[in-house]
Amino acid sequence: MTPVLRLPPLLLLVVLLHTTLFAEVRVAGVAPELLLLVAVAAGIAAGPQRGAVVGFAAGLVADLFLTTPFGLSALVYCLTGYAVGVLQGSILRMNRWIPLVTVATASALAVAGFALAGAVVGQTHLISERLVTVALVVALLHGILALPAVRVVRWTFGERGLPA
Amino acid sequence: MAVSRRTSRSRFTLILLVLTSITVLTLDFRGDGAGLVESIRGVALDVVAPVQSAARWATGPIGDAVGAVTRYGDLEAENEQLRLELEEARANALRAEDAVRENRQLRELVDLTFAGDIPSVTARVIGAPISNYGLTVELDRGSEHGIARDMPVVTGAGLVGRVVQTGRTRSVVLLITDPTSSVGVRLARSGTWGVATGGGRSAPLRVDFVDAEATVRIREAVITSGLQGSVFPPNLPVGRVVDARPSTGALQQDLLVEPVVDFDRLEFVQVLQWRPQS
Repeated sequence: MTPVLRLPPLLLLVVLLHTTLFAEVRVAGVAPELLLLVAVAAGIAAGPQRGAVVGFAAGLVADLFLTTPFGLSALVYCLTGYAVGVLQGSILRMNRWIPLVTVATASALAVAGFALAGAVVGQTHLISERLVTVALVVALLHGILALPAVRVVRWTFGERGLPA
Repeated sequence: MAVSRRTSRSRFTLILLVLTSITVLTLDFRGDGAGLVESIRGVALDVVAPVQSAARWATGPIGDAVGAVTRYGDLEAENEQLRLELEEARANALRAEDAVRENRQLRELVDLTFAGDIPSVTARVIGAPISNYGLTVELDRGSEHGIARDMPVVTGAGLVGRVVQTGRTRSVVLLITDPTSSVGVRLARSGTWGVATGGGRSAPLRVDFVDAEATVRIREAVITSGLQGSVFPPNLPVGRVVDARPSTGALQQDLLVEPVVDFDRLEFVQVLQWRPQS
């Protein structure tokens, strides 16, 4: 099965997990943003171009179920996937902690980026005191889920190791 | 050479995707929620619904167990709170007879007919919000059951929110606690008007534009104003005042209102098939 055929079922599965099982996994009222995690994992596992494409697709799927403007998540997630891919390509020596730290940091920055981009298009309520809590908890939860997420995305793209 | 070509291709892809995202954002704004994007969101709700129900059934016990662990601290605090409330309730029982009489008088005073004879659809709350920002819930009823965008949603206690998305068999409700939610309100005793805005998860509503001269009492009931053009009918209970203080410049008062609905325990709601009077 080609990556193009594997991606839609993967995103559907992630949406189902997000809206059912992971809707209950809340720390300080914050749940993991699984579609963002897929975008970040794609950047790590498959490089900047695929990171951007997967981020865009995952963001569009997220936008279907949100009340924020349609396209906002797609914009932020594709930029995140791309940036993580570029960063990952510039790292010369890998150890097992680098993906975890990358996922956690990128997730926190993406949460802040989403709020900033939202404020630009009139969603000023996204910038609040709660934003720091959301960013930190999402970073923590995504850090925990990083390794399985990267493995699943690697399988999706048929990648064995790190992107060239 | 090959690396440079790959980098250029990545950048080209990124620019293309960013431009597409901005175009989609613009389309959403121009459609003002009633256009193509709204239809696509409705279809997505319907497409995912059957699989989602099965997934919810399968993952429910795991989710409940994980949820119980992650909310342990909250449950402990809630247990303590419930003990205090039980003691208070025992004391209040002695005053119940008088409270019933007072309640009846208040209802007559403000004509609190609540939903009155407005037709309604009963729905079950089946989903929590997917977002960490928006406070929404998903209902198991949609347009084929007579639910439409902007219809008010209530429980027996009072106002829950309004419908913001509808699919054929599912709909999404924006809670009044969401920071983007605004409700025109009236204070039941003093009759003063104001606008209640959501304060976020587990936070009281903020009520602005309340006349600085008005005498507001703590625990005073707050109900929907139902002014012409309002999305909500009049006299739906919203909450009770928990704090009132003059705002900067003292031209108005800022109120904090605790909602009467317990949003952590929403299970069944009623969607009022009500349209604003033009």
